[in-house]
Amino acid sequence: MKKLFLMLLTLTMVVVLFASVSAEETFVFKHGFDLDYPPYSYIDDNGETNGFDVEMAKAVCDYYGWEYEAVPFNWDAKDLELNAGSCDCIWSGFTINGREDDYLWSIPYSDNTQMIMVKKDSGIETLADLAGKVVGVQTSTSAYDLLNDEEGQAELCKTFKSLEVYETYTIAFNDLKAGAVDALAIDVTSGNFLMSGQTDYEFLDEELGSEQYAIGFRKDDTELRDKINDALMALVEDGTYDKIGQKYPEIYDYLSLGK
Amino acid sequence: MTFSKMFSTMSAGMWRTFGIFALTLLGSLPLGMVVALLRKSRFAVVRGLTRAFISVMRGTPLMLQLLVWYFGPYYLFGWSIRGWRFPSLLVGFILNYAAYFAEIYRGGIESIPVGQYEAAEVLGYSKSQTFMRIILPQVIKHIMPSVTNEVITLVKDTSLAFTLAYQEVFSLAKQISASQTSFMPFVIAGVFYFVANYIVEFGMGRIEKALDYYR
Repeated sequence: MKKLFLMLLTLTMVVVLFASVSAEETFVFKHGFDLDYPPYSYIDDNGETNGFDVEMAKAVCDYYGWEYEAVPFNWDAKDLELNAGSCDCIWSGFTINGREDDYLWSIPYSDNTQMIMVKKDSGIETLADLAGKVVGVQTSTSAYDLLNDEEGQAELCKTFKSLEVYETYTIAFNDLKAGAVDALAIDVTSGNFLMSGQTDYEFLDEELGSEQYAIGFRKDDTELRDKINDALMALVEDGTYDKIGQKYPEIYDYLSLGK
Repeated sequence: MTFSKMFSTMSAGMWRTFGIFALTLLGSLPLGMVVALLRKSRFAVVRGLTRAFISVMRGTPLMLQLLVWYFGPYYLFGWSIRGWRFPSLLVGFILNYAAYFAEIYRGGIESIPVGQYEAAEVLGYSKSQTFMRIILPQVIKHIMPSVTNEVITLVKDTSLAFTLAYQEVFSLAKQISASQTSFMPFVIAGVFYFVANYIVEFGMGRIEKALDYYR
C-alpha cells in the first residue's frame, strides 16, 4: 500500500513537472477555420492553405512569437471542435449577427452585405421582381439564416417560387449559370469571388441585410480574446492589416478596422 | 490553378485515402474473425454482447460513429483530443468494418455441413485443427465475393473522413472546388475512386481464381 502511494505520488509529481515545463514552451495558437470559404480561408493556386483570415492569424502569431497551427474543420462541427479544445477560436469569415451571445467575440474586422446575384439579362432588377422566381442559397450561411428569419427577410422568401438550399455556392453558382435557378442569395464577398473574371452577372442594388465578421472564442477565454484584440489593433497601426487586405480585392473595401 | 497543380495537390489526399483504406483492412479483416468467433461463443453473455456490438455498428451511421470516436473522449471524460483525429478515424472505420466482416465470416462458417465436423472428429482431428485445416480454407473460398463487395464499399466510405476534416481526397476536392469555382476536382476524385476500385476488383478476382483449385 505504501509502495503504491509512493508510486502515485511520484507519478503526480512527474505530471506536474511536465505540465509546468510545457507551460514555458511557446504557445501554440490553434486556428480553427473552414477551408471551403474563399477568400477568407481556402486552398490557393499553389495548393497551400491561405486566405485573408489565415494570413491575419499568422501575423498575430508572428506578433507574439507564437507557433501557428492550422486546424481546418468541418463547418457543421465547428462548435464541437471549439468546445473540445481542438482549436482555440473560430476565425473563418464568422458572422457575429444572430450569434452575439453564443461566443466571446473579438472586435469586428470586416463588414459584409447579403445581396441577390442575377444574370445581367434576367430582367430581375428589384427584390420585388423575385416573386415567383427560384432562388439558391448555401446552407448554414448568413444569407440562408436571413431568409428564414421572421425579423429578417422571411417575408421576401415567401414570395419566391422556391428556395433551393445548396451544399456549396460553387454548385449553386453552376445552377445559376445553367439557368436552374434565377438568382442567388449570397454575401457580397463570396459573390465577388465567384464573379471574378466573369462579366455576365451582377448584384441587385437593394441589399438583403448586412453583417459583421469577427473571431469567436470560448466564452471563458477572455485572456486570449483580449490578446488577439490588442494584436489586431497593433497590426492595423503598423499597416500589416491593410497590406494583407490589398491582396484580396474582393473583400478589401469591406475591411472595417482603422477606418 | 493549372490541372497538374490541382492533381498534385489532390494526390496528397489520395495517399491519405489509401492510408485509411489499407490500415482499416489490416485491422478489420482479422478483428472481424475474432468478432465472428465471439459471436459463436459457448457463453451466452459473450454471444449477447457481441451481438449488441454488431447491431450498434451496423445500425447507426458510420459518420455519426466517427464523430463519437473523435469527440467522445473529450465530452465523456474531459480528455484532450490533440493528435487524436487520425487515430480516432481508424478506430471508427476498423470497428465498423469488423462488424460487417464478422457477419460475412459467420455466414461462411455456418455454411459448412455438420457432417464435416463429425467426419473430422472420427478421423481424430482436434477442434482447432478441424477449424484451421478443414473449415477455414473452405470458408475463405465461399466468402470472397462478399468480402470484395465490402472492400469496394470501404474505398468509397473513406470519403466520410471529411466529417472530421481529415484532408483525404474528397475533402480536398470540395475545398479546391470552392476556391477554383470548378467541378474538375470532383471529376478527378471520381476517376480516382473508380481506378482504385478497378484495382481492387482485379486483385480480388485474381485471389478468387487462385483459390479455385478444385475446378
